[in-house]
Amino acid sequence: MRDPPVGQTGEPSRDEALVLGPGTNWTIAVAAILFGIGTTGVILRRSPLIVLLSLEIMLNASNLALVGFSRHFASVDGQVFAISVMAVAAAEVVVGLGLIVAFTRRKMPLDVDTLTELRG
Amino acid sequence: MIAGAWLCLLAPLAGALAITLAGTRISRSAAAWISTGSVFVGFAGAVVAFVQVAGESAADRSHLSTAYTWFGAGTFNVAMQILVDPVSLTMMLIITGVGGLIVWYSMGYMKGEDEERRYFAYMAFFVFSMLMLVMGGNLLLLLVGWGLVGLASYLLIGFYHDRPEAVAAAKKAFLMNAIGDAAMALGFFLLIAKTGSLDFSTTFAAASNGELSSSTANLVALGLLGGAIAKSAQLPLHTWLPDAMEGPTPVSALIHAATMVTAGVYLIVRTHAIFEAAPNVQHLSAIIGGVTIIVAGVIALVQWDIKRVIAYSTMSQIGYMFLAAGIGAYGYAMFHLLTHAFFKALLFLAAGVIIHHLAGEQDMRQMGGLRKVMPFTHAAFLVGALALVGIPPLSGFWSKDGIISSALAEGGVLGYTLFVLGLLGALLTGAYTFRLYYLVFHGSPSALVLEHAGGHGAGHSHGPEDAQGHDAHGHSEGPLSMLIPVGVLTVLAAIGGLVVIPGLWEPFLTWIDGVAEPLVVQTAAQDYVTSAVAVALAAFGIWLARRAFLAGRELVGDGGARTALEHKLYFDELYDALFSRPAQVIANRLRDDVESPVVQGSLGEIGAGVRGVASGTARLQSGLLRSYALVIAGSVTILVVVFLAVR
Repeated sequence: MRDPPVGQTGEPSRDEALVLGPGTNWTIAVAAILFGIGTTGVILRRSPLIVLLSLEIMLNASNLALVGFSRHFASVDGQVFAISVMAVAAAEVVVGLGLIVAFTRRKMPLDVDTLTELRG
Repeated sequence: MIAGAWLCLLAPLAGALAITLAGTRISRSAAAWISTGSVFVGFAGAVVAFVQVAGESAADRSHLSTAYTWFGAGTFNVAMQILVDPVSLTMMLIITGVGGLIVWYSMGYMKGEDEERRYFAYMAFFVFSMLMLVMGGNLLLLLVGWGLVGLASYLLIGFYHDRPEAVAAAKKAFLMNAIGDAAMALGFFLLIAKTGSLDFSTTFAAASNGELSSSTANLVALGLLGGAIAKSAQLPLHTWLPDAMEGPTPVSALIHAATMVTAGVYLIVRTHAIFEAAPNVQHLSAIIGGVTIIVAGVIALVQWDIKRVIAYSTMSQIGYMFLAAGIGAYGYAMFHLLTHAFFKALLFLAAGVIIHHLAGEQDMRQMGGLRKVMPFTHAAFLVGALALVGIPPLSGFWSKDGIISSALAEGGVLGYTLFVLGLLGALLTGAYTFRLYYLVFHGSPSALVLEHAGGHGAGHSHGPEDAQGHDAHGHSEGPLSMLIPVGVLTVLAAIGGLVVIPGLWEPFLTWIDGVAEPLVVQTAAQDYVTSAVAVALAAFGIWLARRAFLAGRELVGDGGARTALEHKLYFDELYDALFSRPAQVIANRLRDDVESPVVQGSLGEIGAGVRGVASGTARLQSGLLRSYALVIAGSVTILVVVFLAVR
């Protein structure tokens, strides 16, 4: 895996030369697009379920960016961090879905615009 | 020896702690016995220490025992130490001996009181504090004891805390004493600044070697004198003592006659080196004492409350001690302190028996003819009164005449003035003491006396001190626990003065001289001449009182003089006008002009402002999740753009 695949990327950087597959730029671009999609979903959609899904997309976009940079710098730190983020995201989904189930049980509207209990 | 002294100090503390911690788990009489027992254990310790120290040669009778270093800061160290020498031993014996008798007496006097345990805990605590004061091995420990006795005095004067007068009297005593404490503390600060120490040896050596400048010595001595006159109720800080009679009678006997109020005399004798470095201040204390003798004596002539008469008499007698200490007759000052503790405690306790018998009545106009009803108390009181007046061979004669003749030996304008004041005081003492004696014991029995003369039935509730059933005891005058201490004190008041017979037998004076060398020594001839004059004047005073009583008159007829005396020479009114009222006026003005508009107003404004800002901010918090997300996303976008652009 550490064998130097020559000429795979356009840039003649010292570490770049060690990387297989698409270049870092592409990874970051995909991550940015995913993050934008997620953000748009959080801002525009009113169903809490979809908002949660969009949040997951944002988290995964950041994971992708972390892994991309990890590859770019040939260091495992970013990958370790991404795994931590996944664990936190899983926990967060448990809480979020639990809340949604509770909303449903109480026959509360599944609409984030009407859930304004914390208004100042 | 040292073990005995430490036992003496710590036994009453242990007693006070035991009663406090045991609370209601022990019976009231158990609390009384613990308190009495602990003080008598202290007395035993003091006697052991006394016997051993008395057996030593005069040169090495001073023992300093250090338990541990209390605290230190730089080169300034204070150790937890006690000093055992003839002066402190004398005080220890008086405090635990007379104190033990008085606590024992309280057992009968306070029986059935609501908060007996609290009372006995306070009494033991007071004895400990007083011992701390006299045994403290450096000036700081002395000040600690000084403050603690003030606290104990405050607690005991205000013991009947449901009576407004008692609470007011307690506060007054505390405030007056606080003035003295502050003066003393200032003197000590100056001493620390100049000598770097509060040890007796260091500071006294500095004072007697002339290392202190005269202004320093004067200021330190003034500070000490301020403390002494406040604690000993001398002019002009004397007004608290008569009011302090609101406390239970045994408290008056122990704290406000026999021990605490004499602490000022002890202080002057103990720190005589400093006073000798400031002779003007020392003479000032003699003058204050001399004036107090007369002022207190004349006020005592018109009082109607039996305890107040004795209280003014106490002030007057302490005036003699100040006079003696002020001219350097330290032996006689301590000697009068000793005999005064005996006969004044006796007078108070005998008065307590009467008050107890009459169910709390203290007004002498309600008494009369008690001689036949209470023969034992009458005899005891008569011995105490004669000792106070100074009739030979009772104790007061030896000590008081020694002081007056010391003033004669001092000579000069000061000495002769004090001599005359002392003699006048003897006349006054005879007059006011026997005015009281005749009013209470002679004449025909008053209605109140007749009412209480027979068995003690129910329904005699007049004062706060009569909550107990009088019929609990067999003896007609009072319970035995009251009469035995009175009997013992009667003997002491009668023979207690025989430790000094001028020219022949003066063991007490040599005992004290080892610590405080007297500045003035009278000849035996001066002594005997003075005695003759003083006894004649005292007898004349008694004769005046008797003549006035038989004629049914008062000693001081109606008129301006009597009005002034009944107002206690307007000291209270003066202090009210000088300090209390201006303070109230200033406080009111500050409240109206500063507190309300500035302090309170600005706080209100600040509060209103914060509330306005908060309600504005709260409107931003809409509760709409999506708008929050939009704001966050927008902000991040702007930040990113800014960073990119700036780079």
